[in-house]
Amino acid sequence: MRYARLLVFVLVVLVIMAIPLALVLARSYFLSPTAQPVKAQPIQFPHQVHVQAIGLDCTYCHRNATTSAQATLPPIELCMQCHKIIPAQGRPELEKLVSAFEQNQPILWNKVHQLPDHSHFVHSVHLSFGFQCSTCHGNVGAMGKPGVQQVRDLRMGDCITCHQQNGARVDCSVCHY
Amino acid sequence: MRRREFLKVAATSATGAVLFAGCGRIGDGVPETEFKIAQPVHTPNDWVYGRDAWFATAAPPDQGGYGLIVRVFEGRAKKVDGNPDFPGIAGKSDARAQALVQELYHPDRIAGPQRAASRGSGQFQQISWDSALQEVAQVLRENGGDRAVLITGRPSSSQAAIINAFRQATGIRHAILEPDEFVVLRTAMQRLFGTSMLPYPDLGNAPFLLNFSADFLHGWIAPVALARAYGEFRQGRPGKRGLYYHVGPRLSATAANADRWFPITPGTEGLVALAIANVLLTEGSIPADTFRPYLTALGIDETRLTSEFTPERAAETSGLNAEQIREIAHALVEHQPAVVIAGTSAAAATNGFFNLVACFGLNLLLSNLNQPGGLLLNPDPPLAELRVPQDAVLSERQWAELFEQVRAGSISTVLVYRANPVYSLPPAVGATDALRAAQHVVSFSPFFDETTQLADFVLPDLAWLEQWGLQVPDPGPGYATVAIQQPVVQPFVDGRAFGDVLIQLAQQLGHALPWGSQEEATKALAVQLRRLSGGSVPGANDKEFLVHLQAQGGWWSEQLRGSATTPATRITSPRGPEFIGDTSQYPSVLLPYPSHTLGYGELAHLPWLQGLPEPISTNVWQTWLEVAPRTADELGLTTEDVVRLTTPQGTVELPVYVNPAAQPGVIAIPFGQGHTAYGRYAEGRGVNPLTVVAPQTDPDTGTLAWSATRCRIEKTGRRMRLARFEGNVPAFQLEEFPIVRVMAPSA
Repeated sequence: MRYARLLVFVLVVLVIMAIPLALVLARSYFLSPTAQPVKAQPIQFPHQVHVQAIGLDCTYCHRNATTSAQATLPPIELCMQCHKIIPAQGRPELEKLVSAFEQNQPILWNKVHQLPDHSHFVHSVHLSFGFQCSTCHGNVGAMGKPGVQQVRDLRMGDCITCHQQNGARVDCSVCHY
Repeated sequence: MRRREFLKVAATSATGAVLFAGCGRIGDGVPETEFKIAQPVHTPNDWVYGRDAWFATAAPPDQGGYGLIVRVFEGRAKKVDGNPDFPGIAGKSDARAQALVQELYHPDRIAGPQRAASRGSGQFQQISWDSALQEVAQVLRENGGDRAVLITGRPSSSQAAIINAFRQATGIRHAILEPDEFVVLRTAMQRLFGTSMLPYPDLGNAPFLLNFSADFLHGWIAPVALARAYGEFRQGRPGKRGLYYHVGPRLSATAANADRWFPITPGTEGLVALAIANVLLTEGSIPADTFRPYLTALGIDETRLTSEFTPERAAETSGLNAEQIREIAHALVEHQPAVVIAGTSAAAATNGFFNLVACFGLNLLLSNLNQPGGLLLNPDPPLAELRVPQDAVLSERQWAELFEQVRAGSISTVLVYRANPVYSLPPAVGATDALRAAQHVVSFSPFFDETTQLADFVLPDLAWLEQWGLQVPDPGPGYATVAIQQPVVQPFVDGRAFGDVLIQLAQQLGHALPWGSQEEATKALAVQLRRLSGGSVPGANDKEFLVHLQAQGGWWSEQLRGSATTPATRITSPRGPEFIGDTSQYPSVLLPYPSHTLGYGELAHLPWLQGLPEPISTNVWQTWLEVAPRTADELGLTTEDVVRLTTPQGTVELPVYVNPAAQPGVIAIPFGQGHTAYGRYAEGRGVNPLTVVAPQTDPDTGTLAWSATRCRIEKTGRRMRLARFEGNVPAFQLEEFPIVRVMAPSA
């Protein structure tokens, strides 16, 4: 009986100490890139319509993916090449695009695939090797509303595993330079 | 406390801590745009190909004004390098040029025009450009003309043209603040060779260099061009290695490169030079009639040179022995054409002007002026507008007079552009009091430095890589050279180029300057170069010429070379150095020296430069005292002991660095630190040596003699960590590589 109260005390202390631990662990789960909620974008861009319905290739818009480090977003003038003949009236999302073009304002998108800090990723090298965009980005062409979701972890462990599986270099300076 | 209460407190605080931590989100503390990606309306060129662009531009005037190229990708300047086509530097640059990008991205840049809440409070409110310009124009309308003064650092050549036009339109006075040693050097060149441009030692063709104290590899007039030429001197000619003797009080990194270092008492360079001339004359190795202009300049005759300035006499004061002086003189004769230069602490003694005349004058004896391997004199800028007015450069004495006028009220408005008189002039000059007393102070600095803190209005200038300009490198490579400075990125803040602001202010005052903007001025002046013969830039019309000029980064003409006159009258007389402080109380000489990265403190706000080790001691981010081992032994000091340094002017406490190569009796201290403002990387770090240097001047030029103060040090018993690269980690012996034992020279 003398020790029972002490035992309860120790247990309660342990439980209290476990609360922050559990919360930190839970938080880290939610921080996993693939578990991130879909980000709200300034314009609800439907990849589905452009890829599946119209049949555009990813590199039609993301033109530099095959030649440079960045995939890059197309300038609004590229969007407008088609959209100048597609009526925007009554389509609020499209109206945002047209008004941005007319007011000469860039559109600020929320980055979905955020590269971990201090690392470099070169799109062109990976595409030249033969990978599809979907290897890392998932089937973006099928992603309609609410928007693009990250489907692959893309943190260091993921990169290293993939490099090992494909016989690529894994020394630090491959990505950290 | 009861157990129940403890549990309550523990549970509440633990949960609370977690909840508070949980309220934060990833990305806290990073700019809002970090996780954004911009979709531009029209694609910039470099995005189309995903390739970087290299733009040619120019280094600031106080770094040599040579041509640079900057790598720009996606609208961001990433890397600065030397322009490979530019004469004299051939693609080389230095740390100070590399750090220009840090000025661009500096977190403490002033974001837009500001008005002080109350003068000197350090509190500023953002205002619009329109109201800032209106208010400053109003100030100049009421208190302009000869009641106003514009203080600048050395302006670029195109800025000089704009300032000159502004000065003529408004009647304002222009004063240039340059480090005193350069004022002495320019005056010496003017009076000795009749040219206001600095000379260039042609090291690439010289077999022998004799240098009196000039730190030419790190920070003297043109460190990049001279360091590159030094490489040619040593290794550029197969089978020939240039011989380099250094005469000076401190083993700087430049001195450490020499074949022989002759340590001397500070300020005795001129006496050693005269003793060398004495040897050359008495031994008859140089025709006696060659000596005439040299002796005329110094106001002495042959008899006086042979009788009073013997090596034995010079040995008594300089700390060398007569044999060493003869050895240097013989080397000068044996290795022709030899070149002689002098500067840094030689110019900052009470006889600095005499030192430079006596040392540079040796070139007259060697008949090497404008000869291959000799001292090349540079021509004046190819356009008269590009000339930086020499009479606007003030000496220490003239600064004191100017600030006295400000204090007395005859000058009521002070405009300051990229100069920091409160920090870079000794307190005795009275800049702080004068600025407090002035009715209006307007600063154009892009940072809150000590002077800007005292301003009523701040109209921030753009960073160097964001503006237009023309730049005449001083010294040039021996012929006419102009570098073009063009913006490589869009401005990051709501600043305006200083030239633009002057032009807009003039407009508000009802005077139209010849140009509408700094860009227009630059281009208008640049196309005038096309009319000059022999230029390196092709162009059938002005537009084509400008395109080629911008692509090439500059214009130069090897036909336009400098010429020299020889002095016809006495310009100075032989004089030994004088020191403030009595020898019994102050046994050592305090020898400040400009830092190879921070200069005289004007670059202390850039962390890359703060973190670059001083080449001899490898110390960073600090001020320290270099002490000889013998002095350290006498006082029982080791490296990192804090000592109290006392001069007749004041007392500071600093850590000691025991340098095996330091001379006993000389205590060296670097310039650069001791800022009380100027951004997070400069503030509250180390000591400004000017606060303990006696306000002693050179009577010939009126400049501050910062190496003319005596001092003493006392142990305080405290210690302090010195951040440095070497000597912090013990060396471990590997069996196959025995550690070489280093013997200090018997100290």
